[in-house]
Amino acid sequence: MAYDPASLDKPFDVLRAFDWGGDASAFQPIDAAVVAAHADPAARADLEKRLAALLGKGTSRAAKEYVCRKLSLIGTAASVPSLAALLPEKDHSHMARFALERINVPEAAEALRKALGTVHGDLTIGMISSLAGRGDAASVPAIAAFLSGESKTAVAAADALGSLHTPEACQALAAAGGVTDKAAAAAIADARLACAESLLRQGKRAEAKAIYTSLADAAAAGTTPTAKATRLAAARGILACLDTSTTS
Amino acid sequence: MRFTIPRLCRGIALTWAVLAGLSCGLQPAAAAEAAVPQDAVQMTIDFLGKDDQAFRAIGLDRVRYGLKGEAVTVQLAGLLSKLAPARQVELTAALADRGDRAAVPAVLALLLASKEPAVRAAAISGLGALGSSAEIAVLKASLTAADPEKAAARRALTVLRGNDVTALITEAAKFGDSGLRPTFIDILADRRAITALPDLLAAAVDGDPAVRTSAMRALAKFGGPEQVSGMVQGVLKAAAGGERDEAERALVTVCTQNPGKDKAAEALLTQFKAADETAQETLLTVLARVGGTGAIAIIDGLIADTNVAKRKLGLTALTKWPDATVSQRLLDLLRTSQDQAERDQMLGTLIRIAPLPDNKLNDKQKLELLEKTMSLCKRDEDRRRVLERANAIRTIETLRFVVPYLDDPNLAEPACLSVVELAHHRNIRDANKDEFTKALDKVLGTTKNEELIDRAERYKQGQTWERKKPAKS
Repeated sequence: MAYDPASLDKPFDVLRAFDWGGDASAFQPIDAAVVAAHADPAARADLEKRLAALLGKGTSRAAKEYVCRKLSLIGTAASVPSLAALLPEKDHSHMARFALERINVPEAAEALRKALGTVHGDLTIGMISSLAGRGDAASVPAIAAFLSGESKTAVAAADALGSLHTPEACQALAAAGGVTDKAAAAAIADARLACAESLLRQGKRAEAKAIYTSLADAAAAGTTPTAKATRLAAARGILACLDTSTTS
Repeated sequence: MRFTIPRLCRGIALTWAVLAGLSCGLQPAAAAEAAVPQDAVQMTIDFLGKDDQAFRAIGLDRVRYGLKGEAVTVQLAGLLSKLAPARQVELTAALADRGDRAAVPAVLALLLASKEPAVRAAAISGLGALGSSAEIAVLKASLTAADPEKAAARRALTVLRGNDVTALITEAAKFGDSGLRPTFIDILADRRAITALPDLLAAAVDGDPAVRTSAMRALAKFGGPEQVSGMVQGVLKAAAGGERDEAERALVTVCTQNPGKDKAAEALLTQFKAADETAQETLLTVLARVGGTGAIAIIDGLIADTNVAKRKLGLTALTKWPDATVSQRLLDLLRTSQDQAERDQMLGTLIRIAPLPDNKLNDKQKLELLEKTMSLCKRDEDRRRVLERANAIRTIETLRFVVPYLDDPNLAEPACLSVVELAHHRNIRDANKDEFTKALDKVLGTTKNEELIDRAERYKQGQTWERKKPAKS
C-alpha cells in the first residue's frame, strides 16, 4: 500500500489533542503507516518528522508516550534531539529513554551519555540502565564514575558494568574494591562474577580465574550469606577455569 | 579437610582404568592422560571431602558434567571406598549421572563391600545407569534383598542398557526363580519390551496365577490387536474373582485405550464369536465393557432369547456398558419389565451412565435422561441415587432440577449435597449468583450435616473450600 501523507492528517490531529481515556483506535492508520514505512525510507522520514514534532510543548504525556513508542520503531538520528530534550523531565524521561535505547544510531547513545552528566537521582539510574541496555561500551568510564556514589546509583552502575562485561568494565569493577556500602559491594561482586563468566565463555580462562580468585580471597573472611554465596560462586568458577576438558 | 588420593589408591585406579577400557572394548584410558586436568581433579576431590554441603555440591556437579575422560572417571570412582557412607551415596549418584561405564568396577566393588542398605541401593542404581548385561546377575540377586535395595534393583533392571538385556530378563521371566517371575514380567512391562510380547502371552496362561496376573498387566500396557487372541486365553484361564477381574480390565484397556484399539475390539468380537458357549459366558462381560455395534447386537440377541438364563446374561452384560448409547434400551426395559430384580439392574445402570463424561451426550441430554430416570423411580432409595449423581452434570438447569427436592424430607439430604457440589464450581455459581444464594440459604435451613453447612456458608461468601484428600491406607 502506497504511503499517503494526507490520509494521516486527521489521525495526527486527533493524536495532537489526545489524552488518557481518549479513543486510541483513531491512531490505527498511524500504526499501519509505521509498519509499512519499514520498506519505504521516504515515508519513514516523513512519519518520523511528524511524530517528533509532537514531542514539544502543547501535547499531553499520553500523546508523547505514544510518539516515543512509535519512534522506538522507526526513529533515526533525526529524532534524537527531540527525544534528548525530554530526558531531564521526570514525567517524560522514561519513555524518551525507551525510544533512545532502541534507536540504533550512535547519536542516541551520545544523548543518553550526555544526559547522564546532568540528571540526578532515579533519572541517573535510568540513563545507566539504558546505556547498559544498548550495550554501549563507550559509556564504561561515565558509568564507572558512579560506583563510589550514592548506594542505589552505585548498585545500578555495578549491574550495568556487569552486563557490559567489556575488559574496561571488568577493570573498573576490580578497581572499586574500596566501596564500603554493603549493597553496592554485593552488586560489584555480582558484576565481577558476570565478567568472569563472560571471560570463561570466551575461553579466557586465566583472566577469568584471576577474577574468581580475587573474589574468593576478598570473601574468605566474610561470614555473611553474601560472602558465602560469593565464595561458592568463585569456587565453582575457579574449578570451571581449571577444567580444560570441558567447554564452558 | 583436604582429601587426596593415596599412592596405592591411584595405582588401583589406574588398574581399573585399564580394565574398564578393555571391558568396554575401548582403548586403555592412559592414552587420554595428557588431557586430564589434574589440578581440577584435585580441587574436585577436595570439594567432595568438605563438610559443607554447598561446596560438596560444586564437586559433585563437576563429577557429573565436567572433567571429561575415562581416566578421571576411574580416579573419582576410586574415592568411593574411602568415603563415609553418606558421601558414598552422593558420589555414586553423581558417577551414575556422569554416565561413564569406566566407573562400573568401583561401583560393583562398593556394592560387594558395603553393608549399608542406602549405599548398596545407590550402588545398585549406579549399576543400572552404567552397567550392561554383565551386571544382570548381580542385579537379579539384589531383587531378593529387602527395600531399598530391592526397589533399586527393580529400577536398575528397568533402565539397564544393552542389546541383550531384554532377552536375558525375558529368560529370567520364563525360567527364573518362581517367586521372582512376576517381578521380571513387571520389569519387562516397564521396559516396554515389545520383543517379549510372545513370551508375555505365554505367561498369561501360565500355571502360576501370580505370573498370569503380571503378564496380563504387562500386556495391558502395550498390547495391541495382535495380542487380543492370547489375552482372551488369559481371561479364560484366570480364576474367577480378583484375577479374572484384573485380566478383564487388561483386555478392556487394550480394546479401548491402546493404539489400534478399534482393531483390537474387532479382534475381540471375532474371538467371542469363535468361542464355545462356556467361554462366551466368561467373555461377555469384557465384550460389554468394550462396547460397539457388534457387541450390542449380541447382547440384544441374548436379552430377546426365551431362555431365562441367556436373558439374564444379556441383561447383566448391558449393565457393564461403557457409555450412554444404550439409554433407550434401558428405559424401554425398565418400562416393560415386571421383574423387580431386572428393574433394579436397569435403573442402577441408567443412574450410572446418564452423567458419564463420555462425549456421547451433551449436558442437556444427560439431564433429560436423568429426569426420565427419576420419573421411573418408584422408591426413595433410587431417587436419592439420582439426586446424588445429578451434580456430575454441572449446569444451572441441574440446580433447577434438584432444588424442588429440598422440600421433600425423604430426599432433602441428597438434594442438599448436590446443590452444594454444584455451588462448588465458581463458574456456574458466579454466573447465577442469585439462584445459588437462594438455594444455599435453603440448604442452610435444611441440612444438619456440618460439612455441608460450612461449605454452603463459604460459597455464599464467594470463598473456596478444599476437599479433604482420602486418607492413605
